Amino acid sequence: MAIELASARYRYAGSASAALGPIDLRVEEGRVVGVAGANESGKSTLCLVAAGLAPGVIGGKRDGSVRIDGADAAALKPHELAQRCGILFQHAATQLSHSTATVFEEVAFGPCNLGLRIPEVVERVWAALRAAGVEALAARDPGRLSGGQAQLVALASVLAMRPKYLILDEPTSELDPAGTTLVADALTRVAAETGAGILLIEHKTDVLARIADEVIVLERGAVALSGPAAAVLADPRLSDLGVEPPAAVRLERAVRAAAIEWSAALAEAVR
Amino acid sequence: MALSSPRPLAAGPVLPDYVTRKPSGFYRSLNPATKLAVAVLEVVAAFTIPGWSGPGLVLAVLVVVAAASRTLRSLIVIGFAALPLVASILVVNLFLLPGASDPIARIGPLAPTWSGLWFGLMTAARLLAFSSAVALAYLTTPVDDLLADFSRRGLGRRGVFVVGAAVQMVPRTIERAGEIMDAQRARGMDTEGRIWRRVRGLVPLAAPMVFGALSEVEERAMALESRGFTAPGRQTLLRVPPDRLIDRVLRWLAAAGVVAIAALRITGKVG
Amino acid sequence: MTALRVPHRHASPAASAGEPADSGPSGTVGPPPAAGRPGPAPAVPSIEFETVSFAYPDGTRALAEVALRIEPGESVAIVGQNGSGKSTLVRHLNGLLRPSSGRVLLDGWDIRPIHVARLAGLVGLAFQNPDRQLFAGRVSVEVAFGPRNLGVCGAVLEERVGAAMEEVGLAAEAGTNPYDLGYSRRKLLALASVLAMRTPILVLDEPTTGQDARGVARVRAVVAAAAAEGRTVIAITHAMEFAAESFERVVVMRDGRVVLDGAPDVVFAEAAWLELRASFLEPPAAAVAGARLGLGSTPTAAAVVAALGRSRG
Repeated sequence: MAIELASARYRYAGSASAALGPIDLRVEEGRVVGVAGANESGKSTLCLVAAGLAPGVIGGKRDGSVRIDGADAAALKPHELAQRCGILFQHAATQLSHSTATVFEEVAFGPCNLGLRIPEVVERVWAALRAAGVEALAARDPGRLSGGQAQLVALASVLAMRPKYLILDEPTSELDPAGTTLVADALTRVAAETGAGILLIEHKTDVLARIADEVIVLERGAVALSGPAAAVLADPRLSDLGVEPPAAVRLERAVRAAAIEWSAALAEAVR
Repeated sequence: MALSSPRPLAAGPVLPDYVTRKPSGFYRSLNPATKLAVAVLEVVAAFTIPGWSGPGLVLAVLVVVAAASRTLRSLIVIGFAALPLVASILVVNLFLLPGASDPIARIGPLAPTWSGLWFGLMTAARLLAFSSAVALAYLTTPVDDLLADFSRRGLGRRGVFVVGAAVQMVPRTIERAGEIMDAQRARGMDTEGRIWRRVRGLVPLAAPMVFGALSEVEERAMALESRGFTAPGRQTLLRVPPDRLIDRVLRWLAAAGVVAIAALRITGKVG
Repeated sequence: MTALRVPHRHASPAASAGEPADSGPSGTVGPPPAAGRPGPAPAVPSIEFETVSFAYPDGTRALAEVALRIEPGESVAIVGQNGSGKSTLVRHLNGLLRPSSGRVLLDGWDIRPIHVARLAGLVGLAFQNPDRQLFAGRVSVEVAFGPRNLGVCGAVLEERVGAAMEEVGLAAEAGTNPYDLGYSRRKLLALASVLAMRTPILVLDEPTTGQDARGVARVRAVVAAAAAEGRTVIAITHAMEFAAESFERVVVMRDGRVVLDGAPDVVFAEAAWLELRASFLEPPAAAVAGARLGLGSTPTAAAVVAALGRSRG
């Protein structure tokens, strides 16, 4: 069971050229797939296409196929897509509905929209708050949260929809190191406990090194590199593709460039 | 990011108190529609029952109810806000009541009259009664309860969302405006100089507000879709203000009262 | 001591890049030169926070008796978790916020009586969110806004705008609508609009968040160029590698106080890790590797290489 893109291409409405494609991609349940690439290489577009929001909600033209658990994404309605694919963007502020008085009600927004009965809503909300690690914030005003807290609440409100796949577009870009760790840990926990498949776009390759199983690198809308995370993140072509390698890799390169032997002790010291 | 985490006491399928937010006190716990009906009755009585008995009776009732629901102080504060209007009505009637012929004194060309004073005070009292009736309904009914009642009575989720989000948007917009002003002042824009210079600052202040709001629209729409906003069927309401027998009785009484007063006035039995 | 040279509306500050200012005759303003022509350059002032405390109107205490001195030409990275007071601190530099107690001094002069619009000629502050300032229909107009407000016009203005756009890599997009650029390039645009003001003090709020490798490289180049010109550069950042590699001094804040202050090899040395972690920060990977290998304090990859070279004799 997976999200599968096969020769997928996408062009934004009103745009002359394709922003994405052709792309083949597979996000399996329980796996974390990382996506890296220079700005405007198509990463955000990939998120929207994989989630079915493009062209479903924002229009545009899509060729090739996008299947979520075998079903064509174009044939699913937005609320059906929402229960299969949860999506999280960079800016926490635009993802909160700002129409609720407490974090609990904010996270309950999704299940209530689906018309679930109250006991089930309550159960889903607590499970989602727990998975995101923000139970302690349940009574707080969503408008008064810090950036990191807001992002985790947004994550919880998406988790409350019980999606099988999670798609995240640079979720930690505006967070401080502690917030980044919280989100990264929450994602690992979610993948392990709920078996969700995760597609994660990140500039912070250290985060990808920690939690991704495989990594793809995009260039001008197409896949330039793909493979297991450790291999791709150590690939020498990464810098040319506009991606900053993880700190450990940069250190290794600097040492080797100075004609110093990269011993096992050194390799151990950077893990 | 300090997240101290006490486990919630009742993690069972029960809505926490801070979500249900049951109001305390008899008047507050009345259904919002009831409170509106009572306000309408009060306004009609204040303006239709002639002489001092109309506004006097209404104000007396309002004071009693406000004291009982612990909103008396706020009501008085709101009353003070009406002071400028009250003062101007008084002055206008005092000096300019047509057909008045019982001057209090003569100050040059101005001649305040007793009947002017009488009439002015009565009109002011009516105005005060009107504004206080509306204020009492507002003070005892949180917006959430009003919206919840409307949704129970059939207002769609879009209507509820729009009103709820609009209310919360006000403080956010003020905050955003402050940030924009800071950013432009930091680039040397003059906000304290001559008026024509400050007018030039209108576009750099207004444009980011508009553009920022517009550029967020797509992402916010997608975030809403991802939470099932367009799912078919009725959405679950977490909190519904009860509509008890006493509510229905009071609304009928209010309606009857309005009809009775109007009838008595029309048939000339009163005034 | 010469009085604080606050640029008069008609006197254009430093015209030529690469020349640190000379203080010229004392007095707050020179005679206004012909419009658009460069006037005497303001010297890079020293910055001093004299036991500055600040509380927001709702009572939140954001700064608690901060005492900090930054000499002219220093490059300083301010790090700390969200809410530690970093943004609040730098907003005191251009007068957006005024201390609840204590004073902020530029070259020994209290800046409280000076308007924000005038301090903007001395302190350029690039905000974290570019969308809070973009209003123009073209990139070049946006970049020109700052220097225009400072009284720059004509050929000098064009030169400055061109140079700033070049520095951030947007020279080819001069006629583009800012909202047709992606978020990360809009951030670079916001940076350019401050660079064009050629202020002696440059303050950057989270310049590298959301940037790809090329964007980060540009930001580093901007910082290096400004420092080479002798300007004071202050950056708020979460990226420890950036702080360690591009700045000569790192200030760590927590709960409105400065808890660590020194060169990267002091602040990221193992002795300071306890304090760092108490501030919810982690030392850079190079520092951790160096400590594990017993190489002393190695806040950057280059330091690790140097230490390894030394240890091999």
